This record gives sequence, C-alpha cells and structure tokens, in this order.
Amino acid sequence: MAETAVQSRTENQPDENLVIRVENISKLFRTPDEQAIRALQDISLNVAYGEFVTVVGPSGCGKSTLLKLIAGFSAPSSGRIMYQNEEVRGLNTKVGYVPQESKLFPWLTVEENVGFGLDSKRYPRQKRQDQVRYFINLAGLSGFEKYYPAQLSGGMSKRASIMRALAYEPPVILMDEPFGPLDAQTRMVLQDELLKIWEQKRQTIVFVTHDLVEAVALADRVVVMTHRPGKIKDVIKVPMNRPRNIFEIHRQEGFDEAYGRLWNIFRHELKIGAR
Amino acid sequence: MSKQASHESQGVVSGEGKEIPRSGVRFSQRTVGVTLLRAGIIGGFLLFWQIASGRWIEPFLISSPSRIFSSLVAGFQTGDLLLHTWVTFQEIAIGFPLGALVGIGVGYWFGRSRFLAEIFEPIIIALNGIPRTALAPLFIVWLGIGIWSKVGVVFLLTFFLNFFNTYTGMRQMDQEFIDLARLMGVRGWKLSFKVIFPAISPYVFTGIRTSIPFSVIGAIVGEFIAATEGIGFFIRLSAGIFRTADVFVGIIVLMFMVILMDRIADLVEKRVLRWQVQTEHVQIQG
Repeated sequence: MAETAVQSRTENQPDENLVIRVENISKLFRTPDEQAIRALQDISLNVAYGEFVTVVGPSGCGKSTLLKLIAGFSAPSSGRIMYQNEEVRGLNTKVGYVPQESKLFPWLTVEENVGFGLDSKRYPRQKRQDQVRYFINLAGLSGFEKYYPAQLSGGMSKRASIMRALAYEPPVILMDEPFGPLDAQTRMVLQDELLKIWEQKRQTIVFVTHDLVEAVALADRVVVMTHRPGKIKDVIKVPMNRPRNIFEIHRQEGFDEAYGRLWNIFRHELKIGAR
Repeated sequence: MSKQASHESQGVVSGEGKEIPRSGVRFSQRTVGVTLLRAGIIGGFLLFWQIASGRWIEPFLISSPSRIFSSLVAGFQTGDLLLHTWVTFQEIAIGFPLGALVGIGVGYWFGRSRFLAEIFEPIIIALNGIPRTALAPLFIVWLGIGIWSKVGVVFLLTFFLNFFNTYTGMRQMDQEFIDLARLMGVRGWKLSFKVIFPAISPYVFTGIRTSIPFSVIGAIVGEFIAATEGIGFFIRLSAGIFRTADVFVGIIVLMFMVILMDRIADLVEKRVLRWQVQTEHVQIQG
C-alpha cells in the first residue's frame, strides 16, 4: 500500500493561504447487506493556515468521517482533498490526529507516548528530550512522565493524547471530539488549556464536536453539518476576540451572536420550530 | 501552564487513578496466613498419605511419601534419574522454543496478510481438529525412537497453541493504534516492533504459558510410545514392574519442570507486560 503518495497538481492554481481544500467530496459506505449509505455529500471546505475551525453536527452526520478523509485513513468516493496544494492519497503524514478516545499506546509511558511522533524526525537526543519535557509541562503532566496510561485518569490521558499530536509539530491537527467523554469541569479546563496552547503555537486545528457551546467558544469559524447524508449547512464566523475566557465565555462579546445563529440552524434541524 | 491544571491532575490521580502495585513481596498478615494454611493443607495431605499407606491401602498402589522421597534421592544418586531428566529436558528445550517461535511467527504473518490467512486458515483449523497426540506414533515412524521424534511432538503441541493465540491477538488489534502510528511516520519493521508486537504481547504470553504444560505432555506421550530414555520411559517402565514410588518420582520431576518453566515465563511476562494493570480478584460479596 502506498504510504503517502501525495501527487502534486499544479494545474489548479494553488492558494498559498489555504492548507486544506476539500473539493466536492462524497463518501459512500457499504452496509453488511450490500446497501450503500451516503455519509457525506458534496462537501467543500477551505481551511487557512493558523485557523481554528470547528465542525459541529448531530451524531452520525459524518463529521468524523470528514476528518478521517483529511487524515487519509480512507479515500473519498468522489471529489478530492488537497493538502498544501497536493492531493491526499493514502495516509496524510503531515497532519496530527487526536482520536475520540485517548488511544495512548498502553505499553508506553506518558513520556514515550508524547515523544512517539518525534522518532521519525531524528532529532538529536537533547533536543528530543527538551521537546518532550516542554510539552509534558505544557499539559501539566510533569511528575507523571513514567506513568503508564492505565495509571492515568481520563483527563490526564486526554491531555497526553493531545500532546502526542502536538509534540511533533504537524502543521495541522485534526481532533475528533476529543473532550466528548469528559465531565463538564475537566472539559472546560482542557478547552482553556487547548486555547492557550493554540494561541502560542497557532497550528491549524480542525476540531469536530457535537457541543454547540464548545464549537463557538473555540473556533474562528464553525462549520455546521446536517444529518445523513452529511452536508455542510452553513459556515459561521465567530466574531469574538482572543484570548478568550472559556470559563465565562457566555459573557464575552460576540458569543451570543454566533451561538444564536448556530442554534437557529439546529432548531430548524430538530424541528422544534420558532417560539 | 496553569497551576490549576497540574493541581487538578494531582487530585484526580489520588482520587480515581488506578494504581499498579509495585513488584516485590510485602509480608502482610494476610499473606502469612495464606502461606501457613497452604502449607498445612499440603502437610496434612502428605501425613494422611503416609499413615494410610500400608494400613488401609496397599503400598504398591499408592506408595508413600517417605518411600517416594528415598527413591527420589536414590534416583539422583545413581545418576539414573538425572539421565532421564536430562533427555526429557532436551526434548522440551529444543521443541518448545522452536514451536513457540514458529507459532508466533506464523500467527503474526497470518494476521498481517489477509491473503495468506484466507488460504491457510481452514487448513490449520482442520489440522487443529485432529487430537494431536494421535500423531505421535507417526513421528516415531518418521524420526525414530531417539529424542527427535519427541522434539517433533513437543513442537507440534507448542506450535498450535502459540499460533492460535498470536493470530487471535493480531485479529483483535485496534486498527486505530496502527493508523495513529503510521500517521506519525512509523512504518515497516519499526511499526512491527514499536506497535504490533507490544499490542499483541498479552496474547503471545497467554500462548506461551498455556503451551508450557502441553510441551511436557508432548515429550511424555512420545516417550510412552517408544523410547529408551526419558522420564516418560522411566514412568512406564516403573509402572510395568510395580515400582509405584518411582512412578511418583517421575511425576514429581515433571511437576517441577512445569513449575520451573512457568516461573521463568512469569518473570519475563511481568517484566514485558508491566504496563498492564494487575487485575485484582473479583469481589462478589462486600
């Protein structure tokens, strides 16, 4: 299997500001009884360098599928995905991926997990160590370097999992409902940490969630997806300043406006109707 | 980063974080009690055996602990027993690692290649359906009555258990681990050593440990059928002339062989799988 056969296509005028261009993709899945399910339909989406984009939608709308296609875990049924102006074919090793569950390698310590992506970078020993230590500190996990994932709480595993994706500094990080299974407090703390790290590093983040507040609180732009077949219903710009205070996000200027627009779309989707 | 974060994480660990017990023996009152009770049960059984023998039950049927002990000592003094033990040990020492290695290797390759698995899986399952000890006479025909026919039987028994466990491990493996690792630029043999082997290692160890007693069974069955040396031969010979104490001596030697191999495997397993949370005994009543 081709690992990262990324073919360059120059005939489509490249846009230097865009890191991801999803062009008209659809994705069909075959069910066990040989029926085709259309998970995604005619999705087009551009993501610029340094942008924080959230993708929000009801469960089963194909938002995780979209992320997996960008990562190159599987190929779209039609359309194409351009990454840094090259078509994604096979695994896209230039993105980092944070899965729904932490999925830390259970046989490696926190330290080894965070450093996992650095191995293929062939850093000198000292630089590698510094890098790992830096990201472990960033996650507030110092003192737990030698712990195995089985010894960590849910929140700590989550942190380590995010740091594993950040540590080797891919230009884009894809996050698939990373805070989904956490309790409300831990979730807020982690959202806050993620924003602080992102404000320092400004890596591009595509963040999938089903939580409307989370979607607005974190993002520059919110991509709204609707139910099967997954389509993009709208893209909402979030007019809030940064840095943001996650803990009092409701009071921040611009939150209501963006959240109101988002809720309007979903209210329509849920067929609750206007009150 | 934030102090709050590290504070929170500390709290979580002491609160709900699962602890992996440190290795090393801790002599609590409980362990002492358990050990004493166990020793008492074994001692009581041996005592009962000793008393029963010759009083209520014919000694040639069950011998007695004292007779078995003196036979054991005598056997090692004459060197006779040592020779038999050595022969059986050799058969296992060659057949077992070979069977385990080939079993693990084949299980791994079948797990990697769907094509191979599709071709060979039904064949292997069919072969596994044969009571494998029934093949032992064939090995004698093919490889003679020396150690190599027994090595063959040991190999066969060990191979299947290791193969099936490793193959199961490969099939149960979480695809997401592979995807993540490959996304982070790990591939080829590095992927095998850094991700695949660690991921399947619990299964591999289950295979190794369950196959230990079977490897000894393999050697003994082979020796029962046709041999001039080995513990199996010694047991059969002793039973044939009603030297019951020697039969038990043979059994004891085999028992210690299994225990020794199991302890070694246990040590290695604890070392390799130290990342696993030790499961505690299920508590049913509070």
